[in-house]
Amino acid sequence: MSGRTYVDNAPVPSDVPHVDEVGVTSAPLKSAAFFIGKFCQAYNDDFMQCKADARDPAACLKEGRRVTRCATELINKLRENCQQEWDKHWDCLEQRNQEFYRCRKAESALNACVLEKLGIKKEIPNSKIQVHTIAKPVFKDDTPKWDRP
Amino acid sequence: MPPAGGFETLRYKRNLPTRGPSAYAILAGVTASVLYGCYVVAKARIEQKELEREKAWSRIYLTPLLMAEADRDTYRRQQIANAREAAIMSKVPGWSVRSVQLLRRPTC
Repeated sequence: MSGRTYVDNAPVPSDVPHVDEVGVTSAPLKSAAFFIGKFCQAYNDDFMQCKADARDPAACLKEGRRVTRCATELINKLRENCQQEWDKHWDCLEQRNQEFYRCRKAESALNACVLEKLGIKKEIPNSKIQVHTIAKPVFKDDTPKWDRP
Repeated sequence: MPPAGGFETLRYKRNLPTRGPSAYAILAGVTASVLYGCYVVAKARIEQKELEREKAWSRIYLTPLLMAEADRDTYRRQQIANAREAAIMSKVPGWSVRSVQLLRRPTC
């Protein structure tokens, strides 16, 4: 390869319908993960069932496109309705090593906004105490004041 | 002979003033402190577990999305590689591009 990075820019074969990738980095995705999981549950389950039946990447392209379209739809909705709260939360996650417990303040604002505007509630499955709703948690943002962004 | 009226009483008893809280008070204080510590540790351990659960589910919920994107890319690259191989090997008689099953179900 003579030291150069090999980039394959050839387009997708034309028999595959085009779908825009979500184009969102890890922090916004993590911030929206529970909403994506709730909002797109049917498509996600369908896709994962397909993957469980066949691991071949070509087998589940249709289901995969549906998953991506659904996630894109949710992200657009988030942008329309809760842009400010979402930005604040994922920015906090980005600064705090992407740990939820250090961003509860921004998170509760986002959760309230999403619940009000989109009607999606963050819920952690199989959990009785729902760690994001604890009033006085042991683990909280331990960043010293002078070090906060 | 002893003096008249007897000897003076000797002061032989210990004469240490009791200072500070009593032993039982200290014991009670230490016990209370340890119990409170145990309570906080237990609470923290439960919470830690729940935080791990939250992290795990945030990843589980994103898995289909990321997997779908990766699959599309893998598929595209495989198709391109197959086309390239076909073009390179077009002059070799009897050559056919075998599509490789990239991911197999683990057998163990």
